[in-house]
Amino acid sequence: MQLSKKTNIAAKLATATCVLLGSTQPQAETTASEDWQFDTAILYYGETDRVSLVEGVVSATKDFGDDHVFNGKITYDGLTGASATGAVAQNEVQTFSRPSGKGGYQVAANTTPLDDTFRDSRVQLNANWSQPLGSDMAGGAGVHLSKEYDYLSVGLNGNLAFDFNQKNTTLSVGASFQYDQIDPVGGKPVGLSSMPVRPYSEYDHDNDDDESDSEISDDFYDSAFAAQYREREKSEDKNTVDALVGVTQVINRRTVMQLNYGLSIADGYLNDPYKLLSVVDTSGVTQDIVFEERPDSRTKHNVFWQTKYAMDNGVADVSYRYMQDDWDIQSHTIESRLRFNVGESGYIQPHLRYYQQGAAEFYRPFLMADEALPEYASADYRLGEMTAYTVGIKYGQKRANGHDWAVRLEYYQQNPENAGFTEPEALQRQDLYPSIKAMILQFNYSF
Amino acid sequence: MKQKMRLALLAIAVSQAVGCASLGVQPWERDLLAKEEMSLNAEGVDLSLDDHIYFSKEATSGGRGFAGGGCGCN
Amino acid sequence: MSDRLIIQQKNGHFVGRFFAMASDCEILVDTTDELVASQIIEQLSAECLRIEAKYSRYRKDNIVYQINHAEGAAVAIDAETYQLLNLAQTCYELSEGYFDITSGILGKVWSFDGSDCLADQNEIDKLLPLVGFDKLHFDQQYIQLPVGMAVDFGGIGKEYAVDSCANIALTTVPEISVLVNFGGDIAVSRPKRDAAYWQVGVTHPNPQKDTKVLVQIAQGGLATSGDANRFLLKNGVRYSHVLNPQTGQPIIDAPASVTVTGDNCTQAGLLATMALLQGKNAECFLTEQAVKHWCIRL
Repeated sequence: MQLSKKTNIAAKLATATCVLLGSTQPQAETTASEDWQFDTAILYYGETDRVSLVEGVVSATKDFGDDHVFNGKITYDGLTGASATGAVAQNEVQTFSRPSGKGGYQVAANTTPLDDTFRDSRVQLNANWSQPLGSDMAGGAGVHLSKEYDYLSVGLNGNLAFDFNQKNTTLSVGASFQYDQIDPVGGKPVGLSSMPVRPYSEYDHDNDDDESDSEISDDFYDSAFAAQYREREKSEDKNTVDALVGVTQVINRRTVMQLNYGLSIADGYLNDPYKLLSVVDTSGVTQDIVFEERPDSRTKHNVFWQTKYAMDNGVADVSYRYMQDDWDIQSHTIESRLRFNVGESGYIQPHLRYYQQGAAEFYRPFLMADEALPEYASADYRLGEMTAYTVGIKYGQKRANGHDWAVRLEYYQQNPENAGFTEPEALQRQDLYPSIKAMILQFNYSF
Repeated sequence: MKQKMRLALLAIAVSQAVGCASLGVQPWERDLLAKEEMSLNAEGVDLSLDDHIYFSKEATSGGRGFAGGGCGCN
Repeated sequence: MSDRLIIQQKNGHFVGRFFAMASDCEILVDTTDELVASQIIEQLSAECLRIEAKYSRYRKDNIVYQINHAEGAAVAIDAETYQLLNLAQTCYELSEGYFDITSGILGKVWSFDGSDCLADQNEIDKLLPLVGFDKLHFDQQYIQLPVGMAVDFGGIGKEYAVDSCANIALTTVPEISVLVNFGGDIAVSRPKRDAAYWQVGVTHPNPQKDTKVLVQIAQGGLATSGDANRFLLKNGVRYSHVLNPQTGQPIIDAPASVTVTGDNCTQAGLLATMALLQGKNAECFLTEQAVKHWCIRL
């Protein structure tokens, strides 16, 4: 039959049947998603005396019928604050050049050098599509784009899932390809070369003092100094390929487990262009500051295992992840979330995470002046030995109409450790491995 | 030692996939498993925000799947 | 088949099972109180049997028999029958004459047994003047059919029974979620306490599969319409058992089954039937109506 006019038959029938049944028209309560489902969150992350981050996410999902689902997500984050450069503290004031070379900053005696030029904002867009590809198969694909002023990242990913055993067992395979372009401020520094320091800077302790006692004119040093930056490469890139294989298995009516193996191969510019190393003499006094240099490839393997258990009044979630790479870093992560339903629609969820990593093979908290420069070196504590733990709690409400909200408060502490380096005398009096303490506060709202 | 660990984990993975005909539930016994909070992708927004923080502050990333996203943080 | 009622306790809810309207019927009650569950299950199964008795075309002692054998005279009807006729009229108008509860008599000349025996056009032509909802007259008190015509509530009876039971549950036990499932036509009175879905196994709409399929529903209704094993196949064309009331011919190229969700089961069922009447445009129709649906074509 071909209807001559496209009337809203569904709505008219809804009214007619309600009259028949003597019932009032129900509120739009069907969880059939003809509409978009939005999940939004805003997060604040703040380290004491260091980096702060505000991040906002809006994620929109729509089921176009038959599990053909589209998800689009936009994320914005703004970063401020100071980050450790990797140089070591000394018992006198130190001066460093900003990454751009246009100026410097000073670090007080006996404090960890921090670069506070990190004011960065980033926008990221993700889009994903997933759909069934047969009665026991499903697939998906996605793209992402991320941009901040010195970094661009674009990527593609795809995955397939196969169900067996009345959908009790699912085998997933996925792959992604990512291309990143890095345009460091001030250009790409040559690895393990010395950080340029404006020669008259030691006379510039007072910021407002533009007089110089140097014998040679400012113009000469300026141009020679500036040339070092002008000669640098402006842009570098890197490629990353990831592959993932996983099995999800329903164990019983209350338990489901997942086991994944992931391989990641990155190739290209993997340095952090803003990180430094101090070169010290045998008594621990800094002689030179150099830029770090990391290998130009990195292969990571990781194994991830997760179990979710449905309690009568909540859910217990425990997971373990092991990572190993060819930079000689090994890490273990144990994480657990315990959700307890309270009241009619509320829940409270404590969260615990323990993380431990070993140092990269080329990690050096500092370099010794009397030794030859190694091929690769980095003092970035994020590649060093450390343990970290997170303790948090979340409270939220899930309402039947789909308007959910939640608030989450967490404490994250990182404890970098000495990976077995003997410290020269002057450095023994410094704290080379300060702990980083951070608070996380997040609000979620879904509608 | 590392090689043995890798093989052991792979063996567990394979046995999970193959010897699982006895594990599982009938379709109508999925009442608890079907709850939204039992989904392995539950709280996806939280997980991806956390992933971003830990990726920036530690040397490890990923595990669960593709969050999809790169940034200049590490 | 007996219509014996069996009540069982499951994890966190009760299930009542019986056989009626040529289907396996079940009622799920979200409570751990056995007394309350038994009472509501008994009440709803009684309501289901009442509607079946009142509107079945296979009985000789109900209002439908009286209406169809009045030989042109007016027959007194009650409020419930009047409401059902009103709904049938709305459907007749919305479907531009394709959904017609007077088309049942055409079934005399068609037998949908999977063979290639199409009915004889002469036989069809004799019956066509006796089909047409616009030919009968009714108001709140009476209905009058011309001689030889008959009405058949089979197309909406089961869905109406499902919704009527869900409504009774909502008024009798408003705090408790009750799911009514009569042979795959489903309605839920209200969401469960913990806002989770009900899960029911229903016969797979694809007649080639004999597994059950899982339906998740929190509220509202769901209905399936299909030709399952009642069709004719000739020269590669599939003739559905659903007939075009204006030509007496079967709808061709209809999906083997259509499942629709809606605010209630009757609305969902009517949309599913109307979709089938669209033949090859079934999916387009449902997409235009913006209702969640699944069609299976074999």
